[in-house]
Amino acid sequence: MAHNEIETRVLKHSLPSRLFHWCLILGFLPAAITGFILWLKLGNETFINLAMRIHIVGAIIFTSAVIIYTVCCLNLVIAFMRRIFSWDSRDLGWILIGGGYPQKMFLGKKITVPPMGKINSGQKIFGICLLFSGLILMASGWILYAFIPVSPKLFIYWSNRIHLVFGIFMGLFVFVHIFLGIYNWGEFKTMFGNGTQPLDEAKDHNPVWVEHEIEPVQNTKSNTKVLVQ
Amino acid sequence: MASYDYIEKTVKVSRREFLGVLGVGAAVLWTGAYVATDLIQDRTKYIKMRTASLYRDDFKATVRQSHNNSSLNKMYKSFAGEPLSPLSEELFHTKYIDRTKLGGMS
Repeated sequence: MAHNEIETRVLKHSLPSRLFHWCLILGFLPAAITGFILWLKLGNETFINLAMRIHIVGAIIFTSAVIIYTVCCLNLVIAFMRRIFSWDSRDLGWILIGGGYPQKMFLGKKITVPPMGKINSGQKIFGICLLFSGLILMASGWILYAFIPVSPKLFIYWSNRIHLVFGIFMGLFVFVHIFLGIYNWGEFKTMFGNGTQPLDEAKDHNPVWVEHEIEPVQNTKSNTKVLVQ
Repeated sequence: MASYDYIEKTVKVSRREFLGVLGVGAAVLWTGAYVATDLIQDRTKYIKMRTASLYRDDFKATVRQSHNNSSLNKMYKSFAGEPLSPLSEELFHTKYIDRTKLGGMS
């Protein structure tokens, strides 16, 4: 691969993906926090009522974002699904050593981890949980919102139970995601910045992705950087 | 504006994948819609059967008005005095709780 004197960067997260991530933040996060408030009945009636309104607005943003992203960026959705469902012996090795995170966090040691693609095995597990739990949460949530008057009590009872269990699971899971996202500061800056990452950093975290899934930007001379929106 | 030298290769979606996603999506939606309509149809059927049985019981009953119910009349005569008496109010009347606020949201 070409090497530049200036820092060579790779576009890791495209604009639609970053916008979708922002929609998940603005939709899922308020819905998760207010979900816990509604479940634990924290505060007086007015506050609970406000929490319910925020929960519904969050759900609308979350659901709309998922539908729009799926329709407009089907190729990215399929790429994501290919990645989360692709497992081999490297993933087993990665999971067995916890991706090297416990050693780094608790012992201050950096150990060699199996080379990963764009997402590592932990992110694959998170992705699978996100895919199924997200869909189940959306479906059960909208059943509770719209179908209580016309549905049998037992159906609503189980919709409520499922919504609660998956909501708690996803709510707790997303806070782990936030912690690890901030811990991997470079990745955080990539997602919340312009989507680009230094190539060396990408090589370190995602060597298989850099090796097989990226290419030089077209019409780029070796020392010239292109400006792309 | 972002400047970068490398970009991800274009993701090519094969026809098989496209049809697979479309098929799974359609199957999930279809199953969901089928289950939902089935549940609602069942519920409507049970309500109609229950209503019919109540009408049938009512038709068969000798006394069809609650104020002519001999057991109730006996209870008032021997115990609670009369309808809306202080004791009847205390024992039989429920309290009103306003649930419209949260109920309106769901």
